[in-house]
Amino acid sequence: MIHWLRLQRSLADFTLAALGRRRGKNTALVLTYALVVFVLASAMFFAAALRHETQLVLADAPELTVQKLVLGRQAQIEAEVIDQIAAIRGISGAKGRLWGYYYDRISGANYTFMVPTDPDLVPPAGSVIIGEGIARSRDLEWSGAPLFLSRHVGDLQKFEVVRSFEGDSALMTSDLVLMNDADFRSFFNVEPGLFTDVVATIRNPKEVGTIVEKASHAMPDLRFVTRDDILRTYQKVFDWREGLLAALAAAGLLAFVIFAAEKASGLSAEEAREVGILKAVGWDTRDVIAMKLWEGGLVSLGAFLLGTTLAYLHVFAFGGGIFAPVLKGWSVIYPDFALAPHVDALQLTTLALLTVVPYVAATLVPIWRAASADPDAIMR
Amino acid sequence: MISLNSVTKTYNEGRPNEVQALRGIDLTIARDAVTVLKGPSGSGKTTLLSLVGCMARPTSGRVSLNGDVVSGLPERFLTELRRTTFGFVFQRFNLIRGLSVLDNVMLPAAPLGQSHAAVRARAMERLEALGLVHRALMPVEHLSGGETQRAAIARALINDAPILIADEPTANLDTELTLRFLEIVAALRAEGRAVVMTSHDPRIWGAEGVDTVIEMRDGQIAGEYA
Ligand SMILES: Nc1ncnc2c1ncn2[C@@H]1O[C@H](COP(=O)(O)OP(=O)(O)O)[C@@H](O)[C@H]1O
Ligand SMILES: [Mg+2]
Repeated sequence: MIHWLRLQRSLADFTLAALGRRRGKNTALVLTYALVVFVLASAMFFAAALRHETQLVLADAPELTVQKLVLGRQAQIEAEVIDQIAAIRGISGAKGRLWGYYYDRISGANYTFMVPTDPDLVPPAGSVIIGEGIARSRDLEWSGAPLFLSRHVGDLQKFEVVRSFEGDSALMTSDLVLMNDADFRSFFNVEPGLFTDVVATIRNPKEVGTIVEKASHAMPDLRFVTRDDILRTYQKVFDWREGLLAALAAAGLLAFVIFAAEKASGLSAEEAREVGILKAVGWDTRDVIAMKLWEGGLVSLGAFLLGTTLAYLHVFAFGGGIFAPVLKGWSVIYPDFALAPHVDALQLTTLALLTVVPYVAATLVPIWRAASADPDAIMR
Repeated sequence: MISLNSVTKTYNEGRPNEVQALRGIDLTIARDAVTVLKGPSGSGKTTLLSLVGCMARPTSGRVSLNGDVVSGLPERFLTELRRTTFGFVFQRFNLIRGLSVLDNVMLPAAPLGQSHAAVRARAMERLEALGLVHRALMPVEHLSGGETQRAAIARALINDAPILIADEPTANLDTELTLRFLEIVAALRAEGRAVVMTSHDPRIWGAEGVDTVIEMRDGQIAGEYA
């Protein structure tokens, strides 16, 4: 064992000394390689964090949402209908919700307005609670500044900002404006007794399928959306985004393959001669190969560690600055928050194997040939 | 004792550029002697040396070391012989460029798995004996011709090889350095090592430390002088 460790130490020493000879070239090699790993790892971390984020959001999504459809589009729903929904067998309660989108001409962004169902969150008349993204895009970060909203030219409504909030899931709450029922109705001109949609609670979640089926039959102009449906929609959105990431990752891998192929294509005359010298002075084929393993291992592991560390910082400390606009943005308000660090060990291991193994293999292939030839060629 | 029986070596066998470098060599090389192979360029000296040093196998015939046939051994055993029994000083020295003198000298010891400190100390001893300590950390390509040769000798001796093999060791040396080389050979001989070298340098054949001169021509032995 000691013998083996010492042998490895000697081989590693030699490898380091040998790599040190072409410092510029080898540094460039590690950096290029680290860049590829960085792109791959960033994409991976980002996708995993997004999924994690979605799960958080869906954890408090309503079990059942009911919408009214007119001409195939969502329409406001009357208070009487809410009572009918509440009366459906298996449904334990139903509540009307008021929410809508608002295009803010001042910041050029879309906000989501909502009357909170949680009574603790309802602001007093003339006041709003705003998401952190809005506070930032409108420079309202100092306390006491009011929020001015303009629905059309010549219109200006002033709201006191009671507070802004930062949710677990900044992705979902950063563009949110909460106001009370009366303010919402007057701002959007919604008649009393009308709601945007209805959320319902279910007595036995296992029966949700049957309940929805029967209810759809009884009330054909209503659309019943379950939590699973929402989940699927989100999944689609994120799948699309992950698809984009996968494309990026594929580009990174391609760069890597070209890189490895170049390496595998052969040894330079000088490298081949060096292998011959090592064999001539008594290095075994196994020793030469172990030395090359060290070389490939040091280069690829170094690049892997550098790349993933940078990617981790990029995604979790700097909010994935490079990808964020593509990935999150349907709004100009990007959440100014760090995605919760969430690393999937399996994914990381896969990435490590995907980057380290092919590179090491690529360095070994040509060496194998050179190392098994008779070394007498170097005597010429 | 190294013996060769009916040894031939053919390069590129069966191809149009086939060369018969050695044609039926019968030879015995003593372990307690300095042996020189002389002969014109292309007469097969280097080829013979490569077979003696287990760098390649003969096309036919046998090479044996102390009575054991080594020419048929698998590569792994030949490698071990190169590591433990033979020290090589190549015609072009074959030091690894970019590495320091010390790193080069330590190279043949790497596969032995000995402690780094011990190998390093041994390497410094060899360099000391050859007057190269002050060059230990210098990259080998900055050495002069004579220093390069002595670095190569230090490397050949790092594993305490009992047989030193040198191909045209004085080809690029002036008279003073040639004499210096012969002194080193005499010292190795005094330590009980065998030295086998090729040379077409008359300063070597005539030197007093040389015990046997073997003359080669066209891949055959043309004469042997003691
Ligand atoms: N690897 C090789 N391939 C083909 N021919 C070779 C090779 N090595 C040596 N030869 C030929 O073998 C002959 C003997 O060469 P060599 O042993 O180098 O002679 P010397 O060392 O006496 O000059 C020469 O004709 C040379 O061209
Ligand atoms: Mg020669």
